Amino acid sequence: MYEERITTIIEGPAQDFDIVVRITREEDIAVARQMAKQLAQEIGFSLADVTRIATAVSELARNIYRYARQGRIMIRKRLEDRDSPGIEVIAADRGPGIPDIELVLTRGYTTWERSLGIGLSGVKRLMDSFAIHSEVGKGTVVITEKRRRTF
Amino acid sequence: MMSFEDRVVPIMQVNGYLLVPIQIDLDDRTVGLLQQQLLKEIERTRAKAVILDVRMVEVIDSYISYTLSETAAMARLMGCRTVLCGIQPPVALTLAQMGVVLQEVTVARNLEHALVLAGSFQERDRGV
Amino acid sequence: MDAIKVTEIVNGLTTDGRQKDLWRRVMEGALSKEAAGGLFETLRSLIEDLGEEEVGAKILHIAGEHASFPAVDILRAALKVSGEMRRENEHVLMQLRQMLSELATPIIRIWTDILLVAMIGNLDGQRAQNIAERLLNRVSSVRAKVVLVDVTGVPMIDTVVGGFLMEMFNAIKFLGAEVILTGIKPEVAHTLVKLGVDFQMVTIARDLEDALRRGIAITMEERKRRRQLALSLAGGRLEESGEDDEL
Repeated sequence: MYEERITTIIEGPAQDFDIVVRITREEDIAVARQMAKQLAQEIGFSLADVTRIATAVSELARNIYRYARQGRIMIRKRLEDRDSPGIEVIAADRGPGIPDIELVLTRGYTTWERSLGIGLSGVKRLMDSFAIHSEVGKGTVVITEKRRRTF
Repeated sequence: MMSFEDRVVPIMQVNGYLLVPIQIDLDDRTVGLLQQQLLKEIERTRAKAVILDVRMVEVIDSYISYTLSETAAMARLMGCRTVLCGIQPPVALTLAQMGVVLQEVTVARNLEHALVLAGSFQERDRGV
Repeated sequence: MDAIKVTEIVNGLTTDGRQKDLWRRVMEGALSKEAAGGLFETLRSLIEDLGEEEVGAKILHIAGEHASFPAVDILRAALKVSGEMRRENEHVLMQLRQMLSELATPIIRIWTDILLVAMIGNLDGQRAQNIAERLLNRVSSVRAKVVLVDVTGVPMIDTVVGGFLMEMFNAIKFLGAEVILTGIKPEVAHTLVKLGVDFQMVTIARDLEDALRRGIAITMEERKRRRQLALSLAGGRLEESGEDDEL
């Protein structure tokens, strides 16, 4: 069941998303960040929010590159909601998975030496909603969203 | 000597300080090269302070800010202080929200302020 | 469909002269391609006069009574128009809210290089983020050295609001400016300490006067240093002649 869900997200139809960036090289982190920024600008987010979204995507893409070697960043506009438009960012990989999610969301925790350990917790703080599914040996999916402020 | 390709930013020498305008998108590779280039230049010029101008940088994520702090710590061990100036408002809000602390780095409003701060380090070091 | 038929339908809808005219134009717009341009505009006038619900009811009435008339086209156009009108209203509402939030939190340049922001009322997430964005842009554009934050008008600071304020203060410091906080009432001080929110990154002042005095001292100190820097850049000759205590 879980395996199925990750497979659907990783290999599912890319046309459901406005942007799909495969993360396989270090340069792809900057590509994902740049594309997220453009889409967020199109949706009409404030400059501060555009920067928050681009930074969150940067963190997610780096996590993929660092821990799973490869994966995908998928981004789409969310316009169906009546109150205000938003953006959804999904990061998916078939990497080693996270044994203790609570722990990685604790600020300051990192398994990688060159980091502040605020990657995922930073994403959680920058975005409005944050969900993570991970299974050891199978992969990780992070689904996150930000809504445009109404004023 | 560094090869031309390894030099990612222009570095200027002003009054015993190194002035580094960063006008490129900082990806992971670039930020690593920047670190190497800076340390070599500090060694070569025996600069008292290095001023990094990040006015043109649109995204500073946790890795970039960590590498900047790390570089500043290395520079300090070589007797050189680091001043960062020109952080843009959206970047400042993002860094603050993520809870980033720029260790070993002093923040200035603009280039002029950065020069004032760099000067005050010198005073302190001389015990004035 | 001929003009007589249209007149018959219109007479069945209303007795008001102006509305009769509008309905006639709507129907003509639905029937002929040449008149279609005016359809949306006319529907807009009708919706403004009668309201969405009544216009919808009348279109349904046409559909029920005169099956051969293309009422679906009118309905589709009416939906589009009312959607546009709703979006416009939302936009106006948004602007008003924005204006209100700006009025509610004035940012004043109170002294050379010193900004004062007076926070009034309860702060929620959206409002706090708005104030932070506006304030940071201001600090950056006027190159403020010091920001005085007066929270006298904030009745309550909980962990969430305390967290927002700390983020805002840290962000201001990333711009290279100093923050002086004032106006914390006894109840607020009590809750802050109980909640473990410390404002270690900022200077705290007793009152606005104290805050302004400290702010001015900071800017003077920097001006002095800048002068010394200018002198040392000029070669240090003037430094020795003791002319640098002009300030």
